Amino acid sequence: MRPHSPARIRRRVLGASAALAGLALLVSGCAAGPSGSSEPTAGGTLVYASGDAEPTCLDPHVGGNYPQALVATQYLESLVSKDSDGEIIPWLATSWKQADDGLSWEFSLRDDVSFTDGTPFNADAVRANVAHLLDPETASSTGYLALGKVASTESVDDHTVRFNLSVPDSSLLDSLSMPWVAIQSPTAMERGKDVNCESPVGTGPFIVTDWVKQDSITLERNEDYNSPPADADHEGTAWLDEIVWRFIPDSASRYAALQGGQVDVIDNPQPSDISASAALDTISELDAPRPGAANRIELNSGKAPLDDVRVREAFIRAADVNDGIESLFFGTAKRSYSLLSSVEALGVSGEEHFTVDLDSANSLLDEAGWTERDGDGYRVKDGERLTLDFPVSTNQSIPAEQSLFEQIQATTKAAGFEVVLHPMDLSSWYGALAVNEYDLVSAPYTKVGPDVLRILFHSDSIVPAPSGYFANLSQLSDPEVDQLLTEASQVSEPDERAALYAEVQQKILGGFHVLPLYDQQNHFLVGSAVNGLRAMPTVSTPTFYDVWLTR
Amino acid sequence: MSLPETDLAQPGLASRPTATRPGARVTVGEVVAIGVLALLALAAIVPGLFTSVDPLAISPTEAFQSPNTAHWFGTDESGRDVFARTIHGARSSLLIGVAATAIGMALALILGVMGGIGAKPLDYTVTRVGEVLFALPGLLLALIFIAIVGPGMMTATVAVGISTAPGYARIIRSQIRAVRTAPFVEAATVLGRSRFFTLRRHILPNALAPIFVLATLGVGQAIVWASSLSYLGLGAVPPAAEWGAMLSAGRSYISNAWWLTVFPGIFIVLAAGAATALGRSMQARTRQVER
Amino acid sequence: MVRWIVSRALGAAFVLWAVATLIFFGLRLIPGDPAEAILGGPGSQASDEALQKVRLDYGLDQPLLVQYVQAMFRLLRGDLGTSYALKADVAALLGELFWSTLTLTVLSLVVAWAFALVLATWATRGGRLGRMVGSGMEIVAAAVPHFWLASLFILLFSTALRWLPPISTPGPLGLVLPVLTLAIPLAGFLGQVMRESLADALESPFVLSARARGESETGVRWRHAIRHAALPAISLSGWAFGSLISGAVVVETVFARPGLGRSLLNAVTIRDVPMVTGVALVSALAFVLVTIATDAVDRIADPRLRAR
Repeated sequence: MRPHSPARIRRRVLGASAALAGLALLVSGCAAGPSGSSEPTAGGTLVYASGDAEPTCLDPHVGGNYPQALVATQYLESLVSKDSDGEIIPWLATSWKQADDGLSWEFSLRDDVSFTDGTPFNADAVRANVAHLLDPETASSTGYLALGKVASTESVDDHTVRFNLSVPDSSLLDSLSMPWVAIQSPTAMERGKDVNCESPVGTGPFIVTDWVKQDSITLERNEDYNSPPADADHEGTAWLDEIVWRFIPDSASRYAALQGGQVDVIDNPQPSDISASAALDTISELDAPRPGAANRIELNSGKAPLDDVRVREAFIRAADVNDGIESLFFGTAKRSYSLLSSVEALGVSGEEHFTVDLDSANSLLDEAGWTERDGDGYRVKDGERLTLDFPVSTNQSIPAEQSLFEQIQATTKAAGFEVVLHPMDLSSWYGALAVNEYDLVSAPYTKVGPDVLRILFHSDSIVPAPSGYFANLSQLSDPEVDQLLTEASQVSEPDERAALYAEVQQKILGGFHVLPLYDQQNHFLVGSAVNGLRAMPTVSTPTFYDVWLTR
Repeated sequence: MSLPETDLAQPGLASRPTATRPGARVTVGEVVAIGVLALLALAAIVPGLFTSVDPLAISPTEAFQSPNTAHWFGTDESGRDVFARTIHGARSSLLIGVAATAIGMALALILGVMGGIGAKPLDYTVTRVGEVLFALPGLLLALIFIAIVGPGMMTATVAVGISTAPGYARIIRSQIRAVRTAPFVEAATVLGRSRFFTLRRHILPNALAPIFVLATLGVGQAIVWASSLSYLGLGAVPPAAEWGAMLSAGRSYISNAWWLTVFPGIFIVLAAGAATALGRSMQARTRQVER
Repeated sequence: MVRWIVSRALGAAFVLWAVATLIFFGLRLIPGDPAEAILGGPGSQASDEALQKVRLDYGLDQPLLVQYVQAMFRLLRGDLGTSYALKADVAALLGELFWSTLTLTVLSLVVAWAFALVLATWATRGGRLGRMVGSGMEIVAAAVPHFWLASLFILLFSTALRWLPPISTPGPLGLVLPVLTLAIPLAGFLGQVMRESLADALESPFVLSARARGESETGVRWRHAIRHAALPAISLSGWAFGSLISGAVVVETVFARPGLGRSLLNAVTIRDVPMVTGVALVSALAFVLVTIATDAVDRIADPRLRAR
């Protein structure tokens, strides 16, 4: 399935450039000299303003969240990438071969690449990176989970590396395309975690030169760059001299800064701003839904009251979100009934499970024993109120989403649920999850490929990764689901794999463990000076390698 | 965050004869201020008088309506009526303002009286404690308190109270000290009254006379600071209709729904302003009496 | 004079010590394991070995009083420690942030003063109507919450008129809105105080005698009354400074301006003890210095006070 956005923005930019070129031709009749705006020109500083939480560590091996991926895309590269058709394409690795028994993969690496600190890129470097990811000291979560089946690595020769797996892994290539598994200089990693967090060293088109905490990161062009992925627009060094990566948590300020020209690209725009900017010709939009899971609310079936499937179904029947999504998101987000993002080819939609029916909700709750109501209208049983705690991470949920949760609070109240929202910062949110103090939670998880279902719904995932985070927040522990997920992750034959994933998705949806909302929204608003911006088809992070400025 | 010392606590400044008698004509300003406060108090106690709409009722299809005849202040992002929410918000906001000031005053009284009538060492200690608390930015004290106890409206109220206490305590203490050396207190002692009697009949009532005025001034500031805490996400929790929380939510939509920001803000200014105006005019009257 | 300076210096030292103590014990009261905070916050759930190692490294396994004494000694040496979250030297971090916030607060104080002065003098001149209008404006200004003012400014000057940048850019233009946002409410307060003192002063004996001597109204105002009226406002500057730091938290967040205020909010939430201690000490120090300075000005300006 192809993401719409890169093609769209390219068409828009191309269209604008063509118009400009046409105008230039007209004008050049009167004035000498080319206008040069349809040809990339080197030079300039681009300012990017992020609304996401500032990473605590610029090395995406540590932890592994989206803000890290956003910035690391500019200075780190992975073994393989993906093109807009979803096919795996060469990057730092030129070719690869899977053994017949599926238990090992051999990758041939480029021999003309060095890290920006001079260390050569070779098989030993790749091995050092894998070791770094799997080392508990590094405290990786995303990368650690992605390479969970790698038992060992070997250097077959200087530029050939072999991955030995404990079981076959049909999503190894998907995993290796992600920025959280990107390749860093082994020399740099040896400097120790604290130092490497400040200034990781990679092979990418830009280099981290400065980080003023809570203000900005400065990235400068890598003058020796020579390793773009196979689907890049050009080769050689990047056009931009420098990128200033700023952190502006307030969405209104961020958008105002874009309008005023103080910044060139922003992320996490408010839906109202997206819709308003559509009317402006000085701002364009890059819409790049994240792969992996859709944005959803997980119901914690690991403890009462949601351990009872009737209560879960009642919640689903009472939570009315469609009108809210339409109005709060100004039409920029489409309701999803799937566990997977719309850019995942193997996602299935289970709309039939999610009809809203208040009467049904009420009778289910009566059935489950929650027959009495107290003075405020909430149901009680044995003196306990039907309370659902919902910690909300204000860093990850934009205000529109928080308002949507408020609406869920209001609509489920009619059935007698007391949903208590707890807005908190990211760090406290992780803390609440770690001690199981939640009944409902919305946690983004970006991973390439349907294997994300295994990360999110296999019972193994209730065990925390070294960073402390556990991904199976619905605490689903169903042996049948486990078995389907394990099988699907080892089977390489496409049709069989698709069928297995379809079956397990229907099973999970039908168990009312999850309330899907919409794709993980990933919009970027781009000022008119920026040309050539596209989102990497891997995890939909924008790459500034092909970008040039016309000011 | 705490109230600055005004010249109320500096007796002995140039006194002047005044032509006006105590209880003189009520000014236009006072009438307006009292009127506004009365209306707001009424809204807080009986919101039903002003609106019959449920402030919590969502209606997503009616979201983001600009002010019109059906919704005087428009609707918010979930279709709730902003006018109803603003009216109901009066209760939370005024309550927090009054409660926080009461807490602050209570703490301040304890500290101030201890410092005012205590022996030198006690006074010294209390003054130093006050100075230290005063030296910290008020918001920091509130943040630490909230971090210890956890966010919420109650916590925010207590936090604002604690931050304002040192300022009041200083004023109370210096008032008591000033009154202690006044002639009529000396006279009472000469007449043989017990210390306790002097304290109860003479010192305290005179020293604490300005409290009411200070408190009125303080309520205004407390309302503003409590709404700031809610704005930072540390006070009222959604979907509570509290003015600061409403402003915080409305901030995201400021470019397309200005009414979410303008109206609750106006009410904060009205409430705080009216309380302050009333306090200032009472202050002016008492000063005239002193002279 | 020397005695006065020495006693104030001792007082200042005491305040700083007390602030450090208060922060030390106050932050310990926040629920959660400080070792976890060092490792990245409440949710880090690091392994037991990592936690134990951190406790040993940072001396957290020792009795509280011992830790306290050690911390105090470190502070005496001028060592503010390393920020738990940002993994950088606190003193260095504060240095960067301090100038930014200082610029903002000092400018705001000056601007607030200027506004207040103008408002106070203009109001007393205009008779009853002028007084009412001036008074009204001051009260309204003091009642406006910072974040609301910031929103309105951004809406008006950045979105609608495009005159000024909505976020703080380096250079003077980026300071205009943040400074105005902080200055206006403060101006309201200062204005109220100054206007009353001015009104008082204008009817005091020494002014009457100046008028009797035939001095012009302007002369009376400027040479006698203002000086006298400014005193309470000057002595308020210490308090004003503290209140500006509180306001800076919101203003720095809204205008994306680096500074102590923004960092403070974050640091308290994640129990970054060195950072909070650092910020608290810096603001307390600034407050104390400003207070001493204003008291000194008081003493110089008002001979009556020297008698004490």
